[in-house]
Amino acid sequence: MGVVLALEGLAKKFGDRVAVAEVDLTVQRGEILGLLGPNGAGKTTTISMTCGVLPPSAGTARIAGHDIRTEKAAAKRALGLVPQDLALYEDLSARQNLRFFGQLYGVRGAELDARTAWALGVAGLVDRADEIVKKFSGGMKRRLNLVASLIHKPMLLILDEPTVGVDPQSRRHIFDAIRALRGDGMTVVYTSHYIEEIEELCDRVAIMDAGRIVASGTIAELTQHRGGGLEIELEGDEAQLAAAAAAVAAQGVARDGAVLRFARPEAWTPIVSALEASGARIARIGAQPADLETVFLALTGRGLRDA
Amino acid sequence: MLATLGATLVKELQLLRRDPRVIVRLILLPVAFITLFGAAFKGLDDKPAAKPVIVWVDPQAAAGARVVAAIDASLQFHAVAAASADQVRSQVADETYAVGLVIPRDFAPTRGGAKAELVIDTGKPRSELDALQAPLTAIVTRAVIGGWSVEVVTAVAPPGVRKPMGGATAFQITVPGNAVLFGFFIAVTCALSFSEERRSGTWRRLLSTPVAPWLLLVAKLAPYVALGTLQVALLFAIGVFGFGMQIGGSIAALAVLSVGVALAATTLGLLIAAVSSSEKQVSSLGTVAVLIMGLLGGCMLPRPLMPHTLQQIGLFVPHGWALDGYNMLLVRDGAGFADVARPILAVYGFAAAFLLAGLRRFRFDQ
Repeated sequence: MGVVLALEGLAKKFGDRVAVAEVDLTVQRGEILGLLGPNGAGKTTTISMTCGVLPPSAGTARIAGHDIRTEKAAAKRALGLVPQDLALYEDLSARQNLRFFGQLYGVRGAELDARTAWALGVAGLVDRADEIVKKFSGGMKRRLNLVASLIHKPMLLILDEPTVGVDPQSRRHIFDAIRALRGDGMTVVYTSHYIEEIEELCDRVAIMDAGRIVASGTIAELTQHRGGGLEIELEGDEAQLAAAAAAVAAQGVARDGAVLRFARPEAWTPIVSALEASGARIARIGAQPADLETVFLALTGRGLRDA
Repeated sequence: MLATLGATLVKELQLLRRDPRVIVRLILLPVAFITLFGAAFKGLDDKPAAKPVIVWVDPQAAAGARVVAAIDASLQFHAVAAASADQVRSQVADETYAVGLVIPRDFAPTRGGAKAELVIDTGKPRSELDALQAPLTAIVTRAVIGGWSVEVVTAVAPPGVRKPMGGATAFQITVPGNAVLFGFFIAVTCALSFSEERRSGTWRRLLSTPVAPWLLLVAKLAPYVALGTLQVALLFAIGVFGFGMQIGGSIAALAVLSVGVALAATTLGLLIAAVSSSEKQVSSLGTVAVLIMGLLGGCMLPRPLMPHTLQQIGLFVPHGWALDGYNMLLVRDGAGFADVARPILAVYGFAAAFLLAGLRRFRFDQ
């Protein structure tokens, strides 16, 4: 296995605002890496720099050994970007879209014909190849959006929220296609807000927040090391439960009905003391089952992210 | 590089082919305008008819008959006899005639006698007043002092000025006027295309390909330069074959000027795209800019008919220079590159200025 993607101190500043702060990350050949993070974490900026769409303020990205700053064309030839938007020409047919993007990567003649036919097959659009994209369903457009990035056989495929607004059948189709591509040796970086998608698809996960990678590893490693936190089940009526939750809210405790959950097990003693002082009746204290969502929320917090 | 340009050209043309608004804006509207303006300016082709002047001559006035004969001989005017001086005044007052002349009994201005009375609404616009008062005064003066049949001044074009060709029609004015006006609508079409690329995310996808950003930009603009040139060529062809317009000058110079117009229009489109943040802004800003520039440049009303200051302002937009060049090439026999060097340089200069300003504001990464 070789390193296909290496981010080395990659950083981006917009004026005084740090969007991405010195990210280091490697992805091995044939690996599917999930890039997870709340809104505004810096995922799209990181991807844009990796793909050469945005110039980094510092650091670089190497794709298949090519530096995106100094060997831009070679680096870009080795990658395919599936943008979050349906980046297609809606007044062109599926075939015309694929041929156009193929030509920009230097694919010509018989090879272009063959690659276009292959891509239409992967997208399940062979019968609709000559219809204009405007007439396609959301799922069909998403599938075409995916294969338009594969027309030149990239080593690295970067998908930015590729399943937004698609039906379960199309999502399944996209997942199967990604797995098949990985089976052929392609390396994949997959960003999504859907944690269950990351859990299902990815070998390894990198969690971003505030422009930094705050954790990375396999899902097993993340849930094992980060733990699932503790949960305390209370007894009492709604007023008592609300009062108890209010007494410990400042310590990062979240209420879910009669159950209080918190991510830092080491903080349980003062929390239990505060609950007892508030007159709450504790029915049970136990370990919270660990999953990726728990780890994600523990690392990035429960506050709303609007940007 | 050529393959990228070719692929983009095909893509843009495929997109434009599916947008009927483009055909309407770039071809159908200008043809309709050429036809309408052609009909409106048709009177300019004909030799002006002699204007009637209502004249009363006192039977005792010595030089009265000479004045009437001079008016009729002028070809500019013809005398209509009135029954009285009051009839002259009343028929000018009720606008039956634009101008009248009363020759009194003791008409002898050179010997201290009475002057002739030019009856005219002195509140008319200066240009209209001058067009009647000056020649009639000259005609009457020459009739009085004698020698009115002798030409004392003859018009001669200075060396280097091409002779106008014979048989020019109103379409020599309306075809280039509308070709330039609607040719610049390519700017709006081009700017809208940039907005659409950004809105849909295709621009970001294009930036992720190995094609250099500057080449992406050139490849994006080139189809519009080609389309704009084709549009101007088509409108001129319709003018020649459909409306009998003649081209007196060099076709090669006409082609170079037309490519310059398409280039200036396309780079203006880049500038509009660069300063606009939405399709709505492009549409409103672009349309207003193109129409105002067209108006100032003389696309709707020829600049020679405008007040002097406006004529000068018209040279601050490429339309004015382009029309000066087209006017030279269409109505002057044998006009060539040397005759339209300044207009051609000015139009290409505007294209360069729009390109530089557009590049300065254009954000590749948005």
